[in-house]
Amino acid sequence: MHDFQVWLVTTIGGRSAIADVMRTAWAWPLAESLHFLGLCLLIGGVGSFDLRLLGIGRRIPIAAMHRFIPCGLLGFAINIATGTLFILTEPDQYIYNPSFHFKLLFMTIGGLNAATFYLTSYRRVFAPDAPLDAPRRAKVIAAISLCAWIGVITGGRLLTFYRPSACEGKQIALLLTCAP
Amino acid sequence: MIDPFLAWVESTWLSQWVVGSPSMFAFPGILTLHAIGMGFAVGISAAIDLRILGMAPGVPLGELRRFLPILWAGFWLNAVSGVLLLIGYPTKALTNPVFYLKLTLIGAAMVLLVRISRRVFDENVASTRSGGSLDPPAEITSTLRKLAIASLVCWTGAITAGRLLAYTYHRLTQLH
Repeated sequence: MHDFQVWLVTTIGGRSAIADVMRTAWAWPLAESLHFLGLCLLIGGVGSFDLRLLGIGRRIPIAAMHRFIPCGLLGFAINIATGTLFILTEPDQYIYNPSFHFKLLFMTIGGLNAATFYLTSYRRVFAPDAPLDAPRRAKVIAAISLCAWIGVITGGRLLTFYRPSACEGKQIALLLTCAP
Repeated sequence: MIDPFLAWVESTWLSQWVVGSPSMFAFPGILTLHAIGMGFAVGISAAIDLRILGMAPGVPLGELRRFLPILWAGFWLNAVSGVLLLIGYPTKALTNPVFYLKLTLIGAAMVLLVRISRRVFDENVASTRSGGSLDPPAEITSTLRKLAIASLVCWTGAITAGRLLAYTYHRLTQLH
């Protein structure tokens, strides 16, 4: 993994037309603002659907509530796009950052968890005669989803406090968390 | 006039804990709570606005009021964490015009939320409390749509202004 991280950082290198634009005065703050807006859309779309599965707004048909998911997906897409811009500009600040590793871990959990929902619960929850109360499995998935996205926000917000320094003399674990 | 007050705030133990503590629960933790609260407050408010503007038409608009307690929990989480951040860096915030813009936009968004709530939620309370069927569909007037658009604009502005605070301040503390 260490070699892969170093390879990623050297390959991206922060040298591209995009990185040059991102280093202008307004591009980075603007991309950050979009990243925060995307966060709100993600929670507003996916988080409110999770809350509905957990029993808030029980009289709203779950299938109807699911129509908010595209709003969450839009937020997610905005954040993948703007997040990619940050990494392309300052790759070492993310690839070697333990907070970013946790952020990716929580994103993976959120993604696999969502896939589990569509594979195991979709049909039962969305059947025309489905009860208004979601089955227990769907509720567990919804709770995991909320925790995962809160974890993603936490990992993102703490990035700046775990900026990687030089590796000299540090013990290196599974992933590089310092700049070699 | 204001400077001695700001200097006093910065000299309190609470301010020094927020800024100076090496604990991740101090400044970093408060910032994190501020982002999570934003996600729920703005996210749910935006979902209500988008429903008014035609998204998820099968959702009975009045029933979205069940999400208001979560929205308000997010709001109060942010009011408290925001005050703590302000106590940490009073000079940084209060000498920056963008901070007042952010507060104004949040105030406007909250006024809009209350006005939207009155129109789509209050009238329906009686009918659901009596245990009857789903609320009669609230009428989505053009005024209501305008309020929803204004709400989305205010939140977008507030978030942008908030993010710009990190780039637009000219004094960090009384000393610097």
